Amino acid sequence: MKTKNLRVLIAAAVFVVMALGLILGVSTGTLSGFGWDTFSLLCPLGALATMIATKTFLPRAVVSLILVAIVVLLVGRAFCAWVCPTMLIERIRGFFRSPKKRRALEEAKHEEVKAIAQQELAEKAAPLTAEETASLKSGHQCGACGGCAPQKHGKFDSRHGVLAGALLSTAIFGFPVFCLVCPVGLSFATVLVVWRAFSAGDATIGLIIIPAMLVIELVLLRKWCTRFCPISGLMNLASRFSRTFVPVINDEKCLETAKGVACSRCAEVCEADINLRHLAFGERTLADCTRCRACVDACPTQAIKMPFLAPKKVGATTIPAPSTEPAAVMEDEELVAD
Amino acid sequence: MTETKDTVAASTEDAQTMPSKKRPQPAGITRRGLLIGVGSTAALLGLGALRYAGHNPLNRPPGGADEAHLVSACIRCERCYEACPREVIVPAKIEDGLLGMRSPALDFNTGHYCDFCASENGGVPRCVEVCPTEALALPAGAQLGNPETGETGNVIIGTAVIDTKTCLAYRLTGCRDCYDACRYDAIVLDNAETANPLPRVVADQCNGCGACQAVCLSLSSGSIKSSERAIVVRPIQA
Repeated sequence: MKTKNLRVLIAAAVFVVMALGLILGVSTGTLSGFGWDTFSLLCPLGALATMIATKTFLPRAVVSLILVAIVVLLVGRAFCAWVCPTMLIERIRGFFRSPKKRRALEEAKHEEVKAIAQQELAEKAAPLTAEETASLKSGHQCGACGGCAPQKHGKFDSRHGVLAGALLSTAIFGFPVFCLVCPVGLSFATVLVVWRAFSAGDATIGLIIIPAMLVIELVLLRKWCTRFCPISGLMNLASRFSRTFVPVINDEKCLETAKGVACSRCAEVCEADINLRHLAFGERTLADCTRCRACVDACPTQAIKMPFLAPKKVGATTIPAPSTEPAAVMEDEELVAD
Repeated sequence: MTETKDTVAASTEDAQTMPSKKRPQPAGITRRGLLIGVGSTAALLGLGALRYAGHNPLNRPPGGADEAHLVSACIRCERCYEACPREVIVPAKIEDGLLGMRSPALDFNTGHYCDFCASENGGVPRCVEVCPTEALALPAGAQLGNPETGETGNVIIGTAVIDTKTCLAYRLTGCRDCYDACRYDAIVLDNAETANPLPRVVADQCNGCGACQAVCLSLSSGSIKSSERAIVVRPIQA
C-alpha cells in the first residue's frame, strides 16, 4: 500500500474512532485531550494556553508537553502527516478539485522545482555569470513562480508569529484564545454539532459557522500548515532538533547527482514545502519534515531512505562523496558537543 | 542552535564549492512571514477581546460554578460531553455568545438531569473526574447534592424558576410532575389539599439539578406557545 493511502487511512481511523467516542459517549477524548477515563494527554498548545490563562501549574499539562516534545524529537512533525484531521480535509479538497485545476497546480509546481534543479545543476557545472543567470531565469519563466531564488530560513517564521500572538492574547485576556478557532478542535466540533442537529434536533447557527471557520482557515488562508498553524510552529521548536527518521538522499543513486538530470521529484511531492535536493530553495527546511514519506515513494531511483539515524550529513551538497565524509564527521562531533 | 550551525556549515560548504558568489546568507523572517505573524496576532488579540463581550449565563456542570475560571481553563476538548453518563452536558451554542461557544453547558430539555453521578459513579461527577485542564473542579469543602438523602449540598448549578403563565398547574390541571421529580424538597405545593395544587420553588433548597425541568410537560401538552418549559433552571450568575 502506498504510504499516502496508509496515512489517510490512519488519520481517518483516528478521527472516526474519536468522533464515534464523542457520539456514543465512549471515553476516547479528542485530539485536544486524548485519553480514556481520568487519563488524558493534552494538546501541547492547549496545555500551554490553559496554564497561561489560569496562571496555575498543571502537572498533567506539563507531563503532556514533555511527552509531546519527546515524540516530536523522535519523529518530528509526524503528527501533521499521519494523524491531524486537517490533512483529511485537505485530501477531500483535492478530491473535489477539477482535474484541470489539479493538473495546472501540479504542472506549476513541477516547472518551479525543475527550474531550480536546472539552475543548480548548471551552476555546479560552471559557475554562471550574472547575465547567464538572468537568461536562464527568463528561459524558465522564473518571474511567474518566483521560486528560483533561495528562501530565507530564519530561526522563526510566520507560524511562530501566530503562536506568539495566540499566547500573548491568552496571557492578556486570560482564556485559550486559539482553541476557539483551532481547526483540529473545529473538526470534532463539526461532528458534534451535526450529530446534535440530527439526534436532538438542535438547530444552531454553529452548524454553518463552525464548518465556515474551517473553510476560511484551510482554504482561504493558503498553506495553513506551513504558514499559519501555531501547533505546527510549536512542534517546530522541538522538531528542529530531531535527527531521527530524517529523509536522506543516496547521492550515488539520485538522478541529479549521479546523472546530472534535473529531477527534484522529491521537492515536487513534499507536503511540508521542503526541497530535499536543494534545501536552500524550499519554503521550509528539514526541521519541518513530517515523515510523510512522499519523497521516498516518489523518488524514481529509490535513492531516498528514512533511516533511524542519518549515516552522514543530511542533504549534503552535490560535491563528490569522498569530500563529504570528513564534513559529516565534523557535523556529528558538533552534535555530540551540543 | 543546531539549525544555525547547519545553515552556517552549509553556506561555508557552498563557499568552498563556488567561491565566486551568490546565495545570500539566509537570515531573518520574510516579509510574508512578518505579515502573517502580525496579521494573525492582531486577529487573535481581537478574538481575545471577546472576553469583554462576554456571553449569556449558562447552567454549568458541577464544578463549573466559577465562570471566570471555567472560561480561562476550558480548551474545548469535549471530554466532559462524552463522559456524562446521562448526556445532559451539551456544547454551548454560538447564539449564547462566541466566547462560550463549545464550552460545556447543561441542557435539561433532553429529558435527563444531573444527579451528580450519584447512581452512575458513586457521587463523583464524571465530568469533573475527566476534565484534563481542571476547568471543572469542585472547590474544597464542596458538598454535592445527594438524591438519596435529599441533601441539597453546596454545589449549585442554578435555581429552578416556574413561569406561572405557562405552567399547567396554574391552569388548574392538577399537574405536579415537577414536585414529584424533586429529590431535595425544593418544590412545595400550595393549596395541597385541593384538587389543583400549585407548585412553588423554595430557592434555598434547590441546587439546579434539573429533574423538574426534565419532566416538565408544558411544551408537549396543551397548546402553549412558549420557547421554553414552564419550569427551567436559571444559572446562578444571572
